[in-house]
Amino acid sequence: MNAGSPPHDADTPLLAVRDLSVRFGALQAVDRVSFAIARGRITSVIGPNGAGKSTLFNLISGAIRPDSGQVLFRGTDVTGRSPNRLLDAGLARSFQITNLFFELPVFENLRLAAQRLEPGWRALLPTQRSAHALRRAEALIARFDLAHKATAAAGALSHGEQRRLEIAIALATQPELLLLDEPTQGMSHGDTAETAALIKSLAGELTILLIEHDVELVMDLSDHVVVMHQGMKLAAGHPAAIRANPKVQAAYFGEAAVA
Amino acid sequence: MADAGAVITAVRHSEQAGHRTLTSFALAFIALGILFAAVAASLGDVFFFRLATEALIFGGLALSVDVLLGYAGMLSLGQALFFGLGAYVSALVLKNVLPSFWLAMAVTLAVGTVAGLVAAVISIRARGVYFALITFGLAQVVAKVVFNTPRLGASDGIIGIPVITIDLVGFTVDTGNARAFFLFCLAFVMALYFLCAYLARTPAGRVLAAIRSNEDRVPFLGYPVGLVKVLAFVLAADVAALSGALYPMLRGFVSPELLYFEVSGNAVITAIIGGMGTLIGPLYGSALIVGLKSVIGSYTAHHLIVIGTLFVFAVIFFPQGLIGYFKRPLERRLGARSASTSP
Amino acid sequence: MHGLIDALQFIFAPQIVNGLSIGVAVILMALGLTIIFGLLDVINMAHGEFYALGAYLAVSLLAAGVSFWLCLIMVPVLMLPVGYVVERLLIQRVFDRKDRHVLTLLLTFGLGVVLEDAFRLVFGPNTVRMDTPISGAADVFGMYFPNYRLFVMAIGALIVTLTWVVVFRTRIGAMVRAAAHDRQMASSLGVPVARVYSATFAFGVGLAGLAGVLLAPIYSVFPAMGKDFILLAFTVVIVGGMGSIKGAVIAGIVLMQIQALASLYVSPVWTEPLLFGVMVLVLMWRPQGLFGKLGNG
Repeated sequence: MNAGSPPHDADTPLLAVRDLSVRFGALQAVDRVSFAIARGRITSVIGPNGAGKSTLFNLISGAIRPDSGQVLFRGTDVTGRSPNRLLDAGLARSFQITNLFFELPVFENLRLAAQRLEPGWRALLPTQRSAHALRRAEALIARFDLAHKATAAAGALSHGEQRRLEIAIALATQPELLLLDEPTQGMSHGDTAETAALIKSLAGELTILLIEHDVELVMDLSDHVVVMHQGMKLAAGHPAAIRANPKVQAAYFGEAAVA
Repeated sequence: MADAGAVITAVRHSEQAGHRTLTSFALAFIALGILFAAVAASLGDVFFFRLATEALIFGGLALSVDVLLGYAGMLSLGQALFFGLGAYVSALVLKNVLPSFWLAMAVTLAVGTVAGLVAAVISIRARGVYFALITFGLAQVVAKVVFNTPRLGASDGIIGIPVITIDLVGFTVDTGNARAFFLFCLAFVMALYFLCAYLARTPAGRVLAAIRSNEDRVPFLGYPVGLVKVLAFVLAADVAALSGALYPMLRGFVSPELLYFEVSGNAVITAIIGGMGTLIGPLYGSALIVGLKSVIGSYTAHHLIVIGTLFVFAVIFFPQGLIGYFKRPLERRLGARSASTSP
Repeated sequence: MHGLIDALQFIFAPQIVNGLSIGVAVILMALGLTIIFGLLDVINMAHGEFYALGAYLAVSLLAAGVSFWLCLIMVPVLMLPVGYVVERLLIQRVFDRKDRHVLTLLLTFGLGVVLEDAFRLVFGPNTVRMDTPISGAADVFGMYFPNYRLFVMAIGALIVTLTWVVVFRTRIGAMVRAAAHDRQMASSLGVPVARVYSATFAFGVGLAGLAGVLLAPIYSVFPAMGKDFILLAFTVVIVGGMGSIKGAVIAGIVLMQIQALASLYVSPVWTEPLLFGVMVLVLMWRPQGLFGKLGNG
């Protein structure tokens, strides 16, 4: 999984985005956005609706190609690489609109993702022989509290359970960088708190970049916050600093409420 | 929180029930085939054996349709292309090169793989109905080309394929011997089935099922979707081609009709009536449809009206097909029984 | 110079007119297909058989003494309830399932199989020839154009224009487009969505039937005639863009011209692969066709 990447020192940011831009017709969805993420930290991207957060994610995760700019992962230029090659490099993502394999059982959803950890030739042996993948799927089911639904179809889960499964699938591939697109979208208050605790527990193992609408959650979880507005990076920094930033307040609450 | 290993055991249990069910159907099919051979032998008429062998050969073609449709969700309306190709290649080898079964099969496999690769590269980027139309068009085009090529016998096809002897370990099969060849084809097609059924249970096969369920997510799990689809397509092409290669050995001739849309369409109908996604369903379906055609054929030449109506009925009311319909109850019973006997 | 004018007069012009007259019928078929797909999201694999049904109905009516001109009106009208019933009883049953595209494709494919064999049963497997209703040719600047083909072109252009007007400039058309765009919204606004769907399908089927009547004198009538045309019609629809009327017309004209002119240089056997090649290229480089929008199919 770490094939071909140069060794880097602790100063190199895990992910660096430079002047990333993409336009859809007349709309400049992402406009020269630059920022960097250090290892082991939780970074959040926030901003009003239509700020371009999901598009930014799509650019980083290989779903769409940028018009200009670069994405550097562990110092290597991965701009425009396809999602499966990015996964090889260690970058995984979850989706805002639940994007599971709804007809397949929960366990199978996870096993499919975890299978990636096994050597290629194991793809032609019976699935049962990939013990490593099976154990990883099982561990995730336990961790994400889905054991009681392990053999149920993913489509039969409650919304909160599905959102948890979304994250679990992305995690199954043992990425170094995990992109979470609105992980608590539509969740109840209790589920949201649980998910937040889960994300916090992950922080030591890997680096997390997440998009969130729940500003309180973001302030609580994040080490670093990037604010987007109308496709551009508005501000970046420590949560407290962002909260106090008048430009950020203006973007969220309109020009009138600056105080 | 469940104890370690409990979830894996539960999953394994549920998967094995499904596997056991399908294997039961497969073994039942073999048993039925052998039973049929005994009955038909006693009737003394070669006709039944020839008809049943044809059912097996076209069953192999229907199997190839199911590999793509039942697993990857890719509807190919042009599998006759590979089937006919295999038939022609086999005919040419047997007649003009060497009357050797293994050589004919080897060349068919090679040609089928190359043709499959070319067709895959052309059609794989399209999805859904567009993919179906490209495969449809490819088959039409090649059929027209073959029809107009004098070297391949044009509209008459190639006749005069010799009867050959198939050398196996320890014994031989004479393609002129209707009963022996029927049993051989049964073994051959079942071998194709078991190969496909095995691959379906491997992670590779599972990725195919994932593509059918949610193609867009699959790259984000780290799999090269295009490559996987191409490989599945080539597998289906090879299964169709190898099945087709048996045809000239049975009938002694090949003609452009083998490439026509009727053959592709029939294969799709057979696969769906038999049971999409079960792999053994298409073989049952082929036996059913060939049998039906024969029975109806004694009253009227218009068997397609009946079969077409049956098909429309199946699509609306029984999309899971014959085997699909019986799979779930049997699965439950097999699962329940093993649950009570396992520690 | 003389040679070029002669060539234009005696070789190219007739071919161009040929291409246009057949092109018009293909456009009518493609129009029905693209409307059914664009507005209903249904792939009608039986469209060729509806085209054949139109031709066979014309044959029957003619045999009963009805004049060709009356046929031209009666056949599409007779086909409307057929299409309506097919949509209501068959297609709507699979419409709400997840793999709707594959299922409607298979369903209509099965229907086509039944229809084709039914033609064979009722009318026999042989080709039925139909007399050209307008004989003679028009002399235009020394070039001869068969009158009937000119007539076909004129009627076709009229129908296409009428269709466009109905779809884009009338209230009914607006209802249909609304129902196609957002079923639930249209329904809550009082649009009888189920009936609109059935009527739209019927309209598409009627167009196919009309094409069948128009082309019967040129191409003759036989059970498998639908198969010959369906790939061509789908090619036009795909190149033009699924769901785009403008696309169907332009692609139809362009492709038929390519075919007509190509057949001057290449054996006709190769024109179909040529057009198919165009379709594949379009699907590879611009899957939504010239004027279509991705998101359908």
